[in-house]
Amino acid sequence: MKDSFLYPIIFMLIMVVLFSGILAVTYRFSEAKIQDYQTDSYQKMILSTLATKIAEITQQNPQDIMAAYPKSFEQYIYQLNPQGFEREVYQAVVDEEVVAYSFEIKGKGLWGTMRALVSTTPDFRTILDFNIVSQQETPGLGARIEEEWFLSQFRDRIFVVNPESEDDVTQSYEFISEAQTPENDRQLKRVTGATITSDSVIKMLRAEFNYIYSYVRSNEL
Amino acid sequence: MTKKEIFFNATFKDNSIWRQILGICSALAVTNLMLNSLIMGLGVIFTLAMANMTISLIRNWTPRSVRMMLQVLIIASYVIIVDIFLKANMPQISKQLGPYVGLIITNCILMGRAEAFASKNKVLDSLIDGIGTGIGYTLVLLLISLVRELFGFGSVFGFRVFGDWWTDWSIMVMAPSAFFILAMLIWIVNTYYYKVKA
Repeated sequence: MKDSFLYPIIFMLIMVVLFSGILAVTYRFSEAKIQDYQTDSYQKMILSTLATKIAEITQQNPQDIMAAYPKSFEQYIYQLNPQGFEREVYQAVVDEEVVAYSFEIKGKGLWGTMRALVSTTPDFRTILDFNIVSQQETPGLGARIEEEWFLSQFRDRIFVVNPESEDDVTQSYEFISEAQTPENDRQLKRVTGATITSDSVIKMLRAEFNYIYSYVRSNEL
Repeated sequence: MTKKEIFFNATFKDNSIWRQILGICSALAVTNLMLNSLIMGLGVIFTLAMANMTISLIRNWTPRSVRMMLQVLIIASYVIIVDIFLKANMPQISKQLGPYVGLIITNCILMGRAEAFASKNKVLDSLIDGIGTGIGYTLVLLLISLVRELFGFGSVFGFRVFGDWWTDWSIMVMAPSAFFILAMLIWIVNTYYYKVKA
């Protein structure tokens, strides 16, 4: 019977339906949990990029603000929907005053799209915090851009030096090896073995700051 | 063969990496950190064991002409189940795993054991073979990553072992180091374990 023409087709069809069904049921039962976790972790990341600034103004500890999630998120963070602005943007408001912005930015990495959150001062010139939301870089090499030492290089960095320029508003940077110590504020340490990914992070930041400036020059967020 | 022999053959004597030279791509790709190797190894052990068991369970009804399609379907299904389970219940570990889950599907050890063992042997034997093969694979990954992480980052499982005097060897972080460490491992195993003479 196994050698007949129809048996392999019917057998394979049954198996495909069976395993697809198992996968569909497994996913259906886990879907809500996965989405809840993704929403929570994304909102926590937004809050974390803005927590230091909020803490500075409200004279609290950033850890206390993070511990008070989701209440603190609802209290301080507002999502904006500016017309024609193709990025997600959030603002931190304390006592009815905007103290910082957080943008979701995107760029090409070595293997795929990188998504990151970058928070800025209200004049959009200084990076307050920077964090990677998702990336598809090589594990152990490019994926190390998520490590604290790499991300912290961007904190409190004046990134926009030519706000009036229509070509490029950003500072140019030079990469040095991971083992070296930067000699000036234009040097950044790259991830060893991940030159393209390290370059991609800078390219993404520069392109996105130019995009933000091209928008805010003629519009309000 | 006894159950014990099946296990030890799969783990050591017929080790998929140093004896059969299978699964080399992932062995080279993920071994610059021990934690990555361990996570990859656990994923492979689970998928190998479950896929072997399922393929063996339905082997008497499986037509030869579609057996490889079916093996891929079963392996991919288990890998996706692992992925969904981790995302829902262990999101932090899922994040650590990143693209490794997908890499498990492409691991030729799984197809190799499905075709060479599970499709011809009993369910329990196939399960033991899957676990043994997975453990053998994980041990080799951990051995390679121990050398690479120690010299490349001065750490073991992320814990700093060498002091500030240590200069990290960049070559150990990059793929070429995995090639020569694996080659040396195969040479040592051939010489001292299999007693192969030049």
